[in-house]
Amino acid sequence: MGDESHSPGAEEDLEDLFDNAPCGYLSAGPDGRIIKVNQRLASWLGHDREQLVGRRFQDLLNIAGKIYYETHFAPLLRMQGFFNEVALDLVGQGGHVLPVLVNAIERRNPSGAVRFIRITVFNASDRRRYERELLEARRAAEAASNDLRELNLTLEARIADAVEQRIQAEEALRQAQKMEAIGQLTGGIAHDFNNLLTGIIGNLELLDTRISQGRLNDVDRYIVAARGAAKRAATLTHRLLAFARRQPLDPKPTNINRLVAGMEELIRRTMGAAIEIEVVGAAGLWTTVVDPNQLENALLNLCINARDAMPGGGRLTIETANKWIDERAARERDLPAGQYISLCVTDTGTGMPPEVIERIFDPFFTTKPRGQGTGLGLSMIHGFMRQSGGQVRVYSEVGQGTTMCLYLPRHYAGKDEADAPAEPAEAPRAGAGETVLVVDDEPSVRMLIAEVLEGLGYAAIEAGDGRAGLKVLQSDARVSLLITDLALPGGMNGRQLADAAREARPDLRILFITGYAENAVVGNGHLEPDMQVVTKPFTMEILARRIKDLLSGG
Amino acid sequence: MTVLQRHNVKITGSGERAMVFAHGFGCDQNMWRFVAPAFEKDFRVILFDHVGAGMSDLSAYDPGKYSSLDGYADDVVELCRELAVRHGVFVGHSVSAMIGVLAVKKAPDIFDDLVLIGPSPRYIDDEDYVGGFSEMQIHELIDFLDSNHMGWSQAMAPVIMGNADRPELGEELTNSFCRTDPEIAKRFARTTFLSDNRRDLDGVTARSLVLQCSEDVIAPQAVGEYVHRRLPNSRLVVMKATGHCPNLSAPEETIAAIRAFI
Repeated sequence: MGDESHSPGAEEDLEDLFDNAPCGYLSAGPDGRIIKVNQRLASWLGHDREQLVGRRFQDLLNIAGKIYYETHFAPLLRMQGFFNEVALDLVGQGGHVLPVLVNAIERRNPSGAVRFIRITVFNASDRRRYERELLEARRAAEAASNDLRELNLTLEARIADAVEQRIQAEEALRQAQKMEAIGQLTGGIAHDFNNLLTGIIGNLELLDTRISQGRLNDVDRYIVAARGAAKRAATLTHRLLAFARRQPLDPKPTNINRLVAGMEELIRRTMGAAIEIEVVGAAGLWTTVVDPNQLENALLNLCINARDAMPGGGRLTIETANKWIDERAARERDLPAGQYISLCVTDTGTGMPPEVIERIFDPFFTTKPRGQGTGLGLSMIHGFMRQSGGQVRVYSEVGQGTTMCLYLPRHYAGKDEADAPAEPAEAPRAGAGETVLVVDDEPSVRMLIAEVLEGLGYAAIEAGDGRAGLKVLQSDARVSLLITDLALPGGMNGRQLADAAREARPDLRILFITGYAENAVVGNGHLEPDMQVVTKPFTMEILARRIKDLLSGG
Repeated sequence: MTVLQRHNVKITGSGERAMVFAHGFGCDQNMWRFVAPAFEKDFRVILFDHVGAGMSDLSAYDPGKYSSLDGYADDVVELCRELAVRHGVFVGHSVSAMIGVLAVKKAPDIFDDLVLIGPSPRYIDDEDYVGGFSEMQIHELIDFLDSNHMGWSQAMAPVIMGNADRPELGEELTNSFCRTDPEIAKRFARTTFLSDNRRDLDGVTARSLVLQCSEDVIAPQAVGEYVHRRLPNSRLVVMKATGHCPNLSAPEETIAAIRAFI
C-alpha cells in the first residue's frame, strides 16, 4: 500500500524521534559507560556518536563538574534513583562549553539491579544567559539601592555644602556689583573733578594775566569763582569719604533737641505747605557725641526722602527719645547694649516693600527717577552712623509710611559742654620766638603752612618726610610744635614720627593734618594730651586757631 | 545545643564496640544507608553529619575553624569523648578518611581500627607525588565555585533554597539525601581540595584498611597505594567497584571488605 511505503514504521519513527528530539539523550550501563547517544547531543558536542560510546557521562563535564558529579550527583542518583535539573557545563570538541540542565534516572530489573541509566540533556545556553542578566540586574539594583542609602545619609552635608557655595556665589556677585559701582563712581568723580579743576586753573590763569598786566580792578570775581569751584570739590570729597565711612568727623557733645530746633525752619521751607510737620523732643534728652554738621545733613536727607514719599502731602514727625537697648535688641541692631539717643523721622507716605528695604542702604540704590537721586544719601547716613558708634534702622509698611531712626550712643560727660561757641572771626596772633616743625611731602602745603606760621609770628622748619623730620627733632633745635601730615612717604607715617618725637621730647605738642580720618592711626579720635587733628581741606583761619590753641594750652 | 544535636548524631546497633561512620565531601550520613545496617548486630553504630552538611546545625559553621581538616577532626574527637568511644572502629569516606587519621592522632585511644574508603592526603600532584589533579585544575574548580553554584542554576539557587511555593524544587535538587548549603559547600571544597596531610600519615599506629576503587577520578589508585605505603600497619584492598562511592554503588563488596578486616 502507498501509505505503508510513505509513512515510517513504528521502530523507524521512534529512532527518528530519539535522534532529532530537541534534547540530548544517552543511556549508560551500571558502570556509567555510555551505551547509546542521540544525534542531537553528538551534534551539540561536535563529536561522532561512535566517539562517545564507551566513555562515561562525567568525562564530558568540565573539571568542576566532574568533581561535583562524583561527590554529589552520582551518590544522589544511587540513593534516590534519579536527579532532575542539575546545571552543569559540558565540554565539546575543541573545548567549547555548553551549559546544560541534566536529568538522570536509573532503570532497574525486578531484582533491583541497575540495568541502565537514562540521561536527558537540555541545552541551557539561553537560560544561563538570562540568569546572568537577572543576576547582573539584581546586583545593579542592589548597588543603586546602596547608592541611594548612601545619598540619603550624606544629604544633610551636601545641602550644607550647596548652601555654602550659594552664599559664596552671592558674596562674589555682591563684590562684583560693588566693583562695578566703584568703577562708575570713579568715572563720575573724575569727570566732576576735572570740571572743577578747569574752573580753578582757568580762573587762576586769568588772575595771573590780569596781575601781570597790572589790571587789578575786578580781579575779585576770579578769586571768588576759583574758591567756589574749590569748595564744591571739597564737598564732593566729603561725600565720598562719608560713603566710605572715612569722612573726617568732628564729633562734639551735642544736644540733639537743640540741633533739631535749629533745623526746623529750614525743614519747613523744604517740605512745602502740603506737609504738616510735628517735632516731638523728649524732655531730659541725653547728650551724644556726634559731628553736628553731618547730623544736620543726615536729618535733612531723611526729611527730603520723606517728602518724596508723600507727593500728595502728609505728615512728617521728627521725634527724639532716650533708649535703653538690651542685649537682645542690641544684637538685632548690631550695636553694643547700652544707652542711646534716637532721632526718628516718620512719614505717612507710600512705604516700601521688604525687598526694597533690604537694599536701601546699598550704595547707589535708589527708587527715585534717574537724575533725581544719587543713591548715595542713605548709604552715606549709614556710613556716618556706623562711624559715630550708632546705627540707622528702618520700619516701613506699604501704603502706611516709613520711619527711619538714627541711634547714637549716650555721652556721659557734663552736658553743658554741648554746642561750643562759634568760631571767632579773627585768627589769633601771639607767641613770638617759638619754632614749629612742618612735615609734609607736598611742597605747596608746606609753603602755605609756613606762611601762616610766619604771619602768626612763629619760625618754621620744613621737612619732606618722616625721617628728615625726626632728624630735626633729635637735634638740639628748639621746636615747640610739630605739624605733620599723617600720610608720609619713606616708610614712616605721621603717627610713627609723632611717637618717635615724643620719646625724645615728651612735652612736644603735635598737630596732625589728614586728608581723611585714619581712625586707627589717630586712635579713633581719642588723642593723647597736646595732640590735635585738622582735616584737609582747611582754611588758613582754622589752621591758625589750632596752632594757637596748642601753643597757648601748654 | 549539644554536640550530638550539632552533628545530628544517630546511634543504632546492639554491639559493645563503637563503629563511627563519617561521610565525605558532597553528601551526609545517608551515604551509609546501604552499609551501616550490616554492622548493627555486632557494633554500636554511630552516624553523624559534619557541621555544614545534612541536618547539622548550620549556625555552628565557623569558616575559620573549618578552613582546615583539623577543625573537622576536633569535632570527631569531641563527639567520641561525649559518647565515650574507646578502641572503636572508624569508617571514613573520601575526605573523612584523612579526618579520621587526624582524629586518632589527637586521641589515639578512641580508635583501634581505621577503614579508609577512597582516602587522599593531597589531591594536587606534587613533584613525584601523584594526587590526580594538576594545581591548575583545582584552581579552575575553585574559580568556578566562586562564580557559580555548582549543580543548580546560580540565579535559581537562592530561590530554591527558600521557595515555599515550589517545595518540590528544593526537594528534587537538595533533597533529603544530599542537603547542602551552596556557600558552605564552596568552602568545604576549598578546604578539601587544597589540603595536604601527607605528613599526618606518619606515626599512626592504629590498624588501617585502605579501600581503593577502580577508576576513581577523585582518588586514583596511585593515591591509595601511597597511603598504604605510608601507614605501616595498613592493608590495601583494590575493589572491583568503580567510581568514588563504593558504599553506594557496591555496598556488598564494601561490607565484605570491612568485615574481613575487622
